[in-house]
Parts: sequence; structure tokens; C-alpha cells
Amino acid sequence: MIHFENVGMRYGMGSEVLKDISFNLKPGSLHFLTGSSGAGKTSLLKLMYLAHRPSRGKITMFREDVENAARRDLPRLRRRIGVVFQDFRLLDHLTAVENVALPLWLSGGKGTEIEQHVEELLAWVGLKDRMKSRPPVLSGGEKQRVAIARAVIKRPDLLLADEPTGNVDPAIAKRIMHLFVELNKLGTTTVIATHDMEMVKRAGAARMHLHKGRLHLLDPGDSDFREEETEAGEFGGIRLDQKEYGPKIYGPKIYGANENEEGGGV
Amino acid sequence: MIARVNFLPDERSHEATRLLPYVMAVMVYLSALALMGSMVLHRSFSEWTEALSNRLTIQITTPDPALREAETADVTRLLQQTPGIDFIHRLNKVEIENLLEPWLGEGNVTSDLPLPVMIDVTVSRTMAVNLDALRGMMAGISENIHLDDHQQWLGRFVKLMDAVEYTALGVLSLVVMATVCIVIFGTKAGMAENRETISIMHHLGAEDSMIARAFQRRFMRYGLKGGAIGLVLAFITLVSLMSLSRAMMAGLVRLPDMPVAEGAVLLVIPLLAALLCMVTARITVMRGLNRMV
Ligand SMILES: Nc1ncnc2c1ncn2[C@@H]1O[C@H](COP(=O)(O)OP(=O)(O)OP(=O)(O)O)[C@@H](O)[C@H]1O
Ligand SMILES: [Mg+2]
Repeated sequence: MIHFENVGMRYGMGSEVLKDISFNLKPGSLHFLTGSSGAGKTSLLKLMYLAHRPSRGKITMFREDVENAARRDLPRLRRRIGVVFQDFRLLDHLTAVENVALPLWLSGGKGTEIEQHVEELLAWVGLKDRMKSRPPVLSGGEKQRVAIARAVIKRPDLLLADEPTGNVDPAIAKRIMHLFVELNKLGTTTVIATHDMEMVKRAGAARMHLHKGRLHLLDPGDSDFREEETEAGEFGGIRLDQKEYGPKIYGPKIYGANENEEGGGV
Repeated sequence: MIARVNFLPDERSHEATRLLPYVMAVMVYLSALALMGSMVLHRSFSEWTEALSNRLTIQITTPDPALREAETADVTRLLQQTPGIDFIHRLNKVEIENLLEPWLGEGNVTSDLPLPVMIDVTVSRTMAVNLDALRGMMAGISENIHLDDHQQWLGRFVKLMDAVEYTALGVLSLVVMATVCIVIFGTKAGMAENRETISIMHHLGAEDSMIARAFQRRFMRYGLKGGAIGLVLAFITLVSLMSLSRAMMAGLVRLPDMPVAEGAVLLVIPLLAALLCMVTARITVMRGLNRMV
């Protein structure tokens, strides 16, 4: 799915912020990406969402070499990737609904179908009353949820989330993690950059750790957690809306929890 | 309701390009004036040329009235015998006075002012008349007989006409160039203003052509809007100019009416302006995007 081989990356003429990055992500896998601030998490994600070219090395995504891909080939690949940007990157003049609808609209979806689908998802992330609000009047956490909804609405092949739960309260964070896990179960390869060690621990997923621009792969069992670990919080116990959703037109149901599943037992 | 999302912010919030329609209006105004002016003049020129091309004027300026009349009779006979001459008309006193009036003023042609004899000759359009031979024979009658075939006039007219048309063409191409420059400038400013939006759209997987289309649409609208304003102003200007000049030049020369059919061509100008804006914007955006990641 994603294969990096001795990849290096630098901004402009600066020194390399990522060095000798090599890894292979299997389709349908879920990884956390950790590392202290400035370690290069966002930079690594940028390479993956094709916003930046590596300064060296080889990157294969969706079975295509992308490090030298032509500009005109990029949009098609990007549409298979859902990204939750660390700084959200919402369009300020569009409403929450319109922002979330953009990916569907870009791949040719039609009006009312899109709208219904988008509104359901927004309601699910707790933004029922914020549908018509524009980003400038939303709180950080609300913007973040809009950004998340936009990233997952199309059920992408690859989901890259940069600190997706950094601005929301624990209950919402759990709900969002549940969403990601459900999406992952349906086959979306997922990489989540986070500082939240508790979440990583709870999820028990494999972990990519960046330290000084170099990547270390850790198994769920590895207890290489740092001091920044937070108190053991409750994760996995939330109850989800049991609402039955209408026909899912852009893929199977991804965000309604299963009747007997005790929300996100990851 | 969200069937079509316009990902660029509302036009009114566009500092960079808000004034563009008004610049377009000026451009369209100038090109419409240049075009219309050259059309009206072209019309006038061809009517005058047409009117003069088969006409000869003969003037007999012999001072002695008796001799003048005798020579007039000789010339008339000579003309009647010449093949290819359709029509001979000797201008009477009133007609000559009418001709002189614009230059001398009404009632200023006194009876003691020596008036030449003037003969208006219409030449057949199908048969060539040997003018040199005719001139020779008239010179035989008297040296005071002048045959004017208006060729000198016509030659100058044609030159003037060409000059006017080249000038109009020059003005037009300058206006087009200026318009292209302004649109390029405006597009670049618009792209800079929306850099973040464009970058987000790219990351969501928008094609360059889709981003270009948003700008194209906007600049096409600017062109149409500006074009319509400019055209209305141009029409107002032209109509007032025409009626003014008609009032002033009455009697001297006949001004043609506004050429309606050709005038309709002017309606196309805003469309062409819109098209020009659109194509320029597209090329500019596509090139600009090519330089982005
Ligand atoms: N646009 C840029 N131009 C130049 N240097 C940059 C740019 N973005 C990031 N860097 C540098 O690259 C390094 C890695 O930054 P990056 O944003 O990838 O870190 P991060 O792990 O995402 O940090 P955080 O947890 O704070 O988000 C940092 O040293 C940063 O200063
Ligand atoms: Mg970051």
C-alpha cells in the first residue's frame, strides 16, 4: 500500500528533517505516529498525502511510484486519501456542510444525496447545530470535527490524521477514535499522528515513532512509552448513537456502531 | 443546495479583482468607439467616392460673357458627340449660388460676382471615356475650360480612409493588448489572494483545470459585465456625436446614418471581451498552477 525506501526530506535548502525513512504499510493496517513536537510527524504525513516531494529515496503508494509522479497524476491519487490536517485547513467561506461535502463533490457526487450523507456524519460527530456555520465562528474542537468529517466522508483508501483529537474532550476523542477504527475495519489503511500516549496504549496498534528525523517501528507490545503518558483514562466504554442510518451511497455504513458492540472496543 | 459548491470566496470580497469590470468597461468603450468611428467614416468615404466616381465637372471661366456662352455651346456639342457620356446638365444660377453659399454666406453672392459656367457630366459606368482626348479637344476650344474628374480628390480620400482604418486597427490592438495584460495581472492577484484555498483544493484532489474553471468563470463574468457597461456608454457617445455633427455639417456634406447592420457587430464586442478574459485567465491560472507543487 505504502512503501518508503530510504526517504529523506528537507524544506527548501534546509537540512533534512526526515532521514532514511523506510517502512511498509500493509493495506488495511492501522498505525500511530508518535514523536515529540518538531520530530517530523507532519512532515512525514505531508510526503504521504503528496503535498511535498522527498529529497531522496523512493515512495510507492497504491502501487505507483510517486516520488517523481507527474503533476497531472497527483489529483487522482490524492482523491484516494483522506487527510485530517493539524491546522484543519477548512475553507472559511463555506459552511461546515459544504466543507465536508467537498471531497464528494470533487468526485462527482450529486446535491441532495451528498447533503443527506454529510448531515448525518456531522450530526454523528456532534455538530448537529453547527451545520450551516462557517469555520471562523467554530471553536477549535468543532473545526477539528469538521475536518475529520471531511477526511472520512468518502471512505478513503488511506486515512492520514494529524493530531485528530488534540482539541476535543475525551468523550468526543473516543467517539472519533471509534470512527477511525470502524473505518479501518472496512479496509482503510490508517495512520494517526498523536501525542496522546494513553490512546496509543489503549488502541494497541502498531506504532511508528519519530525521533530526530529517524523512524523507529514499534509493536503494540513494546513498552517504549515515554513520561508524557497521561493518566490511564477510560477508553472504549462510550456508547454510540444507535441511530439507524439511511442507505449508504458512498460505501457501507462506517460510523454507526454495531448493536451489540460496546463502542470501540479497540 | 450544495449541488455546486463555489470554492472561491464571493466576488465582492475580492479586493484584487473587484475593479476589473470597470477597467473592462473602458476597454470595450474604446474599442467600440474605434470600430464604430471607422465604420461611419468608411461608409461616408465610400458614398462620396461612389458619387464622384462617374462624375465630371467642367468649368468655363472665360471672363467675356458672350464668348463664354459661345464656348459653352461648343463644349456641349462636343460632349453630345462623345460616346459614353450619359447625361449633361448645365448648372443654373441658383444651383451655383447654392454651392457657394456655405463658403460665402447666404445672400452674399452679388450679381456682379463673375460666376463661371459649370457643367455637370455623368459618365456611363459601362463604357470608358477617353478623358485625355476630351481634354485635348476642349483645350482646342479655349484654354479657359477646365475638366475636373475628381481623381485627385478621390486619391486623397482613399489615402485618408486607409489611414483612419489603420489607426482604428492600431487602437484596437493596443486595447486588446492592454486588456490581456490587465487580465493576467488580475488573475495573478486573484490567485495570490486565494493561494490557501487553491492549495486546500489541490490537497483534496482537485484538478488544475477545475481550479482554472473557477477563475475562468469569474473573469468571463467580469468581461461580460464590463463589456455591457462599455457598450452602452459607447452607444450614447456615438449617437450624441452623430446628431451633433449632423446639425453642424448640415448642407455641407451629407453624413450617412449610423450603419445599423455593422452597428450590430458591436454587440459582439462584450462577448469577445468575455472570451478574451476567459482564455487569458485560464492560460494564466494553468501556468501559475504548474509552478506549484
Ligand atoms: N514549512 C516548513 N519550512 C521549513 N521548516 C519546516 C516547515 N515545516 C516544518 N519545518 C521543520 O521541520 C521539522 C519537523 O516539523 P513537523 O511539523 O514535521 O513536526 P511535528 O512532528 O509535526 O511537530 P508537532 O508535533 O509540533 O506538530 C521542525 O524542525 C520544523 O521546524
Ligand atoms: Mg505536526
